[in-house]
Amino acid sequence: MKGLVFNKTAILLCVTLLFILGIVTIIMAAPQRRVDAKPGNCMECHGSEKVLSTGHPETTNMNLKECLSCHTEKGKESLRGKITGSHTHGLAGITCDGCHGKKDKYEAVEFDRCLKCHDVDRLVEKTSKIKPTNPHTSPHYGKDLDCNLCHRQHARSENYCNQCHDFKFIVP
Amino acid sequence: MGKDSESPKEVSRRDFFKSSAMAVAAGAALGGIGLISKDAAAKEAIPKKWDESYDVVIIGSGFAGFAAAIEAKIAGANVIVIEKMPMHGGNSIINGGDFCAAGTKMQKEAGVQDSPELMLKDMLKAGLYLNHPDLAKIVAYGSKDALEWCETYIGAKFARLNFHGGHSVKRAHQTINASGSELVNKMLSKAREIGVKVQTRTKLERFILNENNRIIGIEAKKNYRFPDENTGTKAFIKASKAVIIASGGFARDINLRKIHDPRLDERFESTNHPGATGEALMAACLARAMDVHMDWIQLGPWTSPDEKGFGYVPLFCERLVGYGPMINPKTGKRFFKETGNRKERADAIILVGTPVLIMGDTYAVKKQVFPNALEKGIENGSIKKFDNLDDLAKAYNIPVAAFKEEIARWNSYVEKKKDPDFECMIFPDAKPMVEPPFYAARLWPKVHHTMGGLVINKDAQVIGFDLKPIAGLYAAGEITGGIHGAVRLGGVAMADCVVFGRIAGKNAVKENSWG
Repeated sequence: MKGLVFNKTAILLCVTLLFILGIVTIIMAAPQRRVDAKPGNCMECHGSEKVLSTGHPETTNMNLKECLSCHTEKGKESLRGKITGSHTHGLAGITCDGCHGKKDKYEAVEFDRCLKCHDVDRLVEKTSKIKPTNPHTSPHYGKDLDCNLCHRQHARSENYCNQCHDFKFIVP
Repeated sequence: MGKDSESPKEVSRRDFFKSSAMAVAAGAALGGIGLISKDAAAKEAIPKKWDESYDVVIIGSGFAGFAAAIEAKIAGANVIVIEKMPMHGGNSIINGGDFCAAGTKMQKEAGVQDSPELMLKDMLKAGLYLNHPDLAKIVAYGSKDALEWCETYIGAKFARLNFHGGHSVKRAHQTINASGSELVNKMLSKAREIGVKVQTRTKLERFILNENNRIIGIEAKKNYRFPDENTGTKAFIKASKAVIIASGGFARDINLRKIHDPRLDERFESTNHPGATGEALMAACLARAMDVHMDWIQLGPWTSPDEKGFGYVPLFCERLVGYGPMINPKTGKRFFKETGNRKERADAIILVGTPVLIMGDTYAVKKQVFPNALEKGIENGSIKKFDNLDDLAKAYNIPVAAFKEEIARWNSYVEKKKDPDFECMIFPDAKPMVEPPFYAARLWPKVHHTMGGLVINKDAQVIGFDLKPIAGLYAAGEITGGIHGAVRLGGVAMADCVVFGRIAGKNAVKENSWG
């Protein structure tokens, strides 16, 4: 009798421990958003998850300029749409505080923050040759769309136009 | 329910509505209402504290919403426009910019004889006389003034006079950029200039009524990210004078569509923006508002399944009807008159069951079709070009012999300028389809406009199931029903939105504040 009770408790304990371990593993596996991490040091946020291709050079101390020395702007090697905006900005030297402000709890940033560095008119001109149409202006919204509608910073970028249209843009 | 003095008939109607509302609310599109509790009747708890307070709260930021907001603000009210999407404008900002008005300066300059009576006559005929005549009259007779207000006060520019099917004369005044954005963006600027607050990503959840069934405000979700119903934080917004619903139609709401017209399932795409769903309409009904004509849902017969949204094919198709044939690729034959109205053509195509073809030869296409539309349509693959009819038949799996025989038949009708098979209108300058290359596009109807909606009276007040106005509630635009009857004529939506939006805005301010 005593042995049975002991076994039952032991089993319960084991199961609980495994459960907790499982949760912890899952939590550890999802990328964290570490404010103090070096942008090029994937492991600090991604842990053991494989995020770089096999044989990729060590990136820990790299900045965006150095990434772009191999990753061409266009074509197969391009990083466009493959890393989120937060990565690109981080690698370019913009810290989290830089957009979110010095806060304990970060909130979603409005796009007037983007406009402090990114000039819309220049952008419209820069992308004027893109086919089938200039992504930064339209007969519907002009140049006034919220940057975040396409250029998600902490998620995969989207193509807002494609709710109705079929423009094959590669959205950074 | 407190002191409602309802007849048994009324109670059972409401119960019926409750259960059907529950069934509908189970659909994904309506999951956001949050009113799916066992107590899903009009009187929910009145909040102890209001997060925001205004005289007039307007749901929706299209033509009707802004017309109402601007008039309400001019009349001295404190106004907010809330918009559930991240961007203002709804369908208004993506439409073709055609504003129908009768007896205008532009018409006189073009030598067009028109009158509000004629416009009303056209609206009623197309509407199969299901239009509420007094409401249709207000739109027809108010159209000229509304257009002038848009030009002079709002500053929108209209550059062309167009013809739309079903009208007796050219009365569609098109914006300078052929888009509704010219008007709605200028309305937004004007609204902001005079102090209207505009808040996007704010979604209406339910109406709040007091013990007298007066609308006193709304429960909303702020920072809502469409279409994720798990986003947004609750906010109670007080409306001391009134709420104006200008939230548009429900063409994108498959669950709601299927209830009123079971044919309109997932097979049918829509020309509308993704947010054109029925939650605000249903929330109003749950607050005792009555709906009408909900099963009159307009399909455009001129859209192609080979491109998204409205696309370029409508500009190809509508220029070719009466010049080139519409063919069922399964039989190689014509099946309906190409120049029929939107409804009859769409119904005929749906009966065929699979996409059909509209086609023309080089003579017809060069003469009729906008070069830009043709080019873009060919570029995106929805319009195809063929050296000869055999190639065309092969591309669409059409039985060749039957097809060629039918084309010969069509050509003989074009020469005689008479179609004994289907009574299609054949234009005087139409010629037989013989000059290669030949152009064709597939057609399959898309859901375009919902004629039905909330019942309103001449003052834009929403009418309840007790056939009396619901205190504190107004509506304007596609959310309302009864103006267009069975079929809305092209270009009359803009007139409807601006005319009734302005009426709603002015009248809402005349309400006595409840507190």
